[in-house]
Amino acid sequence: MPSLRHSQRVVGWFDMQRTVVAETNAPAAHAQAHRYTSPVVVFLVLTIVTAIEVALAVVPGIPHESVVPVLLALSFVKASLVALYYMHLRYEKPIYGLIFVAPAAFAVFLIAVLLT
Amino acid sequence: MNWLLKYSPMEQAPVLVGMGESASSAERAENEVQINRRLGFWLFLASELLIFCGLIGGFLVVKHYAATWPEHELGSILLASGNTFALLASSLTVVLGIDAIRARNQRNLVVFLLISALLGTVFLGGQAVEYKHFIGDLGHGFGDPFGTAFFILTGLHGLHVLVGVVWAIAVALRARRGAYTAANYTTVEMFGLYWHFVDLVWILIFTIVYLI
Repeated sequence: MPSLRHSQRVVGWFDMQRTVVAETNAPAAHAQAHRYTSPVVVFLVLTIVTAIEVALAVVPGIPHESVVPVLLALSFVKASLVALYYMHLRYEKPIYGLIFVAPAAFAVFLIAVLLT
Repeated sequence: MNWLLKYSPMEQAPVLVGMGESASSAERAENEVQINRRLGFWLFLASELLIFCGLIGGFLVVKHYAATWPEHELGSILLASGNTFALLASSLTVVLGIDAIRARNQRNLVVFLLISALLGTVFLGGQAVEYKHFIGDLGHGFGDPFGTAFFILTGLHGLHVLVGVVWAIAVALRARRGAYTAANYTTVEMFGLYWHFVDLVWILIFTIVYLI
């Protein structure tokens, strides 16, 4: 059985990036390292973007029609952050992202057809 | 299935980097099982996303063709914003829980899972208050277009949150008995993916139903 070592350096919850290293002595494998964003940073970004969304929607004086595309774009950004960082799609094989996104792309196309 | 092998920070080392030449057939078989479980769960999430996309599309179409459509009150938007914050925070605690088990900390895994379940319950409580107001005070129901579209979409999502809360408690109870280790936490990972998916869907629902 190959001896496996899975080490991780975590400076703290608020560190911007962490390093995770997986190593094995198996000939076919090689050590790889990825830096990935702290979940707390992702949470703070999601919270701030949500606050901006709510402000755009409820603050009087902003034309509603002009805000709708911005709100949809911000919502897409938030959903992408959750998928990429919390669901780890950023670190996965693209096939998982394709499996997940393909139905959404089909649905968006369908909605666009129905509304026009 | 080698084309599915790739390093991921949330994965167990044998699955991360592929199996070496010296791996036994039992290890290879177990590795294959883990890969199949993950692929199957992603396919399940994709089917769930298709269901929610259909319902969101249905909501938009009903709204587009409805003769009248009620504006959300400020209180309703703020309540939904609070619910959004609760779900976002619960996703964070799930991530921290998975980090904890990877660092061999069973106790923190249990604590973070129970906090996630509590935040999910807060979300459901907020939704119950909102439903009471919409049905009792405003008279919405399945008889009007808004009620039909709103309750089916948010109700199905609420049902998913309820399932997630029960699942989180079940995983926490098993974790308390030491069922998971730093090398074996696939069930926790599956729960995490489900919970983040529920969070992701709410992000879309919040904008489409309450803000635009």
